[in-house]
Amino acid sequence: MFPLELNKIKENLLNLSKKIHKKYSYQFSIRLTEGVTVTSRCGSIESIEHHQDNTLGVQILCENRQGFAGTNNLSNESIDKTIEKAKNIATNTQPDICNGLPDSNFVTSDNMPQLDIHHPSNLDIKEIIDMTHACEKNAFDYDKRINNSEGSSFSYANNNSLILNSKGAHGMKQTTNFTLSCIVVAEDGKSKERDYEYSTTRDFKKLESPKKVGSQAAHKTISRLGARTIKTRVCPVLFSPEMSASIFNDFLSAIKGAAIYKRASFLLDQIDQHIFPDFINITEEPHLPDGMGSSPYDAEGVLTKNKDIVRNGKLKTYLLDTYSAKKLNSTSTSNKGLVTNIVIDTEEEKTTNIISSMPDGIYITEMMGSGVNIITGDYSRGAFGYLIKDGEIKHPVTEITVASNLKDMFKNIIGLGSDIDRRSNINIGSVLINNITIGGAS
Amino acid sequence: MNQITDLILRPYNLTDQKIEKALSIACSNKIDFADIYFEYTKTESWMLEDGIIKSGNSSIDSGFGIRSVSGDKSGFAYSSQYDLKDLTKAAEMSRSIINHGQEKSVKLGESKKFKKLYDSASPLDSVNDNEKVDFLKSIDAYIKQKDSKIDQVILNLSGVHESILVMNSDGIKAIDERPLVRFSVAVILKDKERREQGFSGGGGRYMYDEIFKNKTGYKFADEALRQANINLNAIDCKAGTATVVLGPGWPGVLLHEAIGHGLEGDFNRKKTSAYTGLLGKKVASSECTVIDDGTIAKRRGSLSIDDEGCETQRTVLIENGILKGYMQDKLNSRLMKTSSTGNGRRESYGCLPMPRMTNTFMLPGKHNPNEIIESVKKGIYAANFSGGQVDITNGQFVFTASEAYNIRDGKIVDPVKDMTLIGNGPEILKKVSMVGNDLKLDEGVGTCGKDGQTVPVGVGQPTLKIDEITVGGTQL
Repeated sequence: MFPLELNKIKENLLNLSKKIHKKYSYQFSIRLTEGVTVTSRCGSIESIEHHQDNTLGVQILCENRQGFAGTNNLSNESIDKTIEKAKNIATNTQPDICNGLPDSNFVTSDNMPQLDIHHPSNLDIKEIIDMTHACEKNAFDYDKRINNSEGSSFSYANNNSLILNSKGAHGMKQTTNFTLSCIVVAEDGKSKERDYEYSTTRDFKKLESPKKVGSQAAHKTISRLGARTIKTRVCPVLFSPEMSASIFNDFLSAIKGAAIYKRASFLLDQIDQHIFPDFINITEEPHLPDGMGSSPYDAEGVLTKNKDIVRNGKLKTYLLDTYSAKKLNSTSTSNKGLVTNIVIDTEEEKTTNIISSMPDGIYITEMMGSGVNIITGDYSRGAFGYLIKDGEIKHPVTEITVASNLKDMFKNIIGLGSDIDRRSNINIGSVLINNITIGGAS
Repeated sequence: MNQITDLILRPYNLTDQKIEKALSIACSNKIDFADIYFEYTKTESWMLEDGIIKSGNSSIDSGFGIRSVSGDKSGFAYSSQYDLKDLTKAAEMSRSIINHGQEKSVKLGESKKFKKLYDSASPLDSVNDNEKVDFLKSIDAYIKQKDSKIDQVILNLSGVHESILVMNSDGIKAIDERPLVRFSVAVILKDKERREQGFSGGGGRYMYDEIFKNKTGYKFADEALRQANINLNAIDCKAGTATVVLGPGWPGVLLHEAIGHGLEGDFNRKKTSAYTGLLGKKVASSECTVIDDGTIAKRRGSLSIDDEGCETQRTVLIENGILKGYMQDKLNSRLMKTSSTGNGRRESYGCLPMPRMTNTFMLPGKHNPNEIIESVKKGIYAANFSGGQVDITNGQFVFTASEAYNIRDGKIVDPVKDMTLIGNGPEILKKVSMVGNDLKLDEGVGTCGKDGQTVPVGVGQPTLKIDEITVGGTQL
């Protein structure tokens, strides 16, 4: 309600931390978020939600033992109690030689990169409401088969965070997020379908127009009408940018330090091995202006920097934090708690050209369910998509499954589209993968 | 001790009069009702990995949310600060959804009396921290001596003590204290180059001793190990349609996805559900009777009162195949001219309530489970699942098996790898041809997500046979 001031809390924390005995090392993380979410449905306001969240996380280390405690009450008394609780927990955990704060490359007030990811805005609530009305109206106006709506929402968040540790790390990060979305329902007498569209940016000025978001939501929903089931087959599958991002996200999960040291990944011992075809290069670029994944440092204050993850199809690094790096005799790659922007750098083809080069296949735009096993790479999910025949999209298909193994899927990538989606931290276009089993009618 | 009274109301001197004033501001003659929800939640978790207690985490989350409802409109503001000026400001922001009308005076009554389905005490304080740690160490030692193929054991133990106080413009005042504990075991086995995982766990609204006593923890360890061993021998599954027999218990996630979400009041009030307009119609085979029941003592999905202060109940969703009812919260039931079924739930004080499931399950049928399996010439027996998802508008849902076998000539034979089943809710339940007499509820680990809010839920079912459903295998 009455926003807390980050600088004031920082002063309080610095004072309180002076009382912590020298035998302990510590890290404080603070996050303050404020914002608003407005939803309109069928032409009138449905809800206005005002957000304000505060959290403090305390990590205390003592002779290789560690404890965590958190609170959302940032009064001095509560902070004191939280520190005591973290100390207590540290006495009940067991020593682990790999525990510890980062040794080097941490953020200080002198070396922090200034990224272009914070654009606070004084939006008028009336203006926001009008925007959601316009967005939904554009969807309804697009086609008369759009006959219902789950509404159009706008949300704004202003995030401020702070990290301090006993080795002198000191970082402050500020970001903004603006999101406009729309979900509509279409019916044609035989089938009823729902789909959505959204735009999300760091800078309000770069948000897609309500017209574009609304009409795209309608277009996607209408395209789903008349979906049929198809027969079981093995064929090439073109994954939409959102679905491709989900597959690459599974790749990132499998190369995370925690999955590697727990031996819970299908990509153990794969450094310098071919995982993808030669033409695939994947880099992490943490400092992209307006990047949805951009961050100057990771969740333990280690400065982020550009790095190769895959070069010419070969895996170059795992994604490590200080703990997993020690477990694996390596050094942190500044991936504690986050993976920043992932850029797939290759010669792309126009997605329309990819489709027109396909004699037979499926274009998948939605996948459902939890059927991804990171330990074995086994992949089996429900899907919705479109049948491609003789280079053209023929009709929507429903009640199908997509099954393969991620190892094979990565090796069988045969094309990357230029329709790059920058709405998540994984910037990728459509991906064409050969030899996927599509389960359908017998 | 009552956390809300002792840690919020008294220290911040929030008397009934002050809260009545805030509710009066949030309400007006143009507003149907307003409510204020206080929450004080303590959470802890302990993890054992690589043979040592690696970390412990403890957190406190507390705050209040004020909501003003007018027709289908909701205004909402929340805060984790409790000064009177915060309360007043939140009430003004909440009410801004309808910017006219006069303040309506609110008078709070006595605290509501209701049947308690669980202890009020805090599981976190029910045993000492070192007992929690010793429990995890003993399970780790036990499991490791059982199998030489063990490569990794990850144990998680967590406890939550949530206190809530909800007060609304009708004068209702209701306090609930909710314990919740959960224990899980994940085991990775390595056999030559192959690695597979097994997972098990359980919990409920009780103290830690329910898991510590009677070797309950060991039972979960055995189960995780058994599943991992089965997966080590699993073969690729055939893609296409198949007859599928679902085992009892957790496979009830089928009902949660295929039926449950589609029968939540909000989607039906908005007419966006695949079940819209089907009340009184046949949506499942006459073998099927499906219930949502929030009143079962100590279950993970149960609540004595929901987050709007309404007592939970046993709601018949489908009776002998006929659609009988929806799950409702206050806002949607009022707009649909019916009453709340006690399904108004929210993740926390910072989220708006909406209709959510509690424990959703199918009642037992007449068949012996063996008889069901023996009736299948060729098909799949799915004994356990990892989770599911549904598109409530077209009814398409998926759920992913984590333990499944081929059935040949009425016998369970080779295990098959994780695979996803996909079907259409209103159609698939018409294909349920046999229901077993072995109803079982799950062990108490389920969590459901909707609109970004997660809440603990339960599922259950007897063994049942689906004549035809699409299976996501890799083999042709």
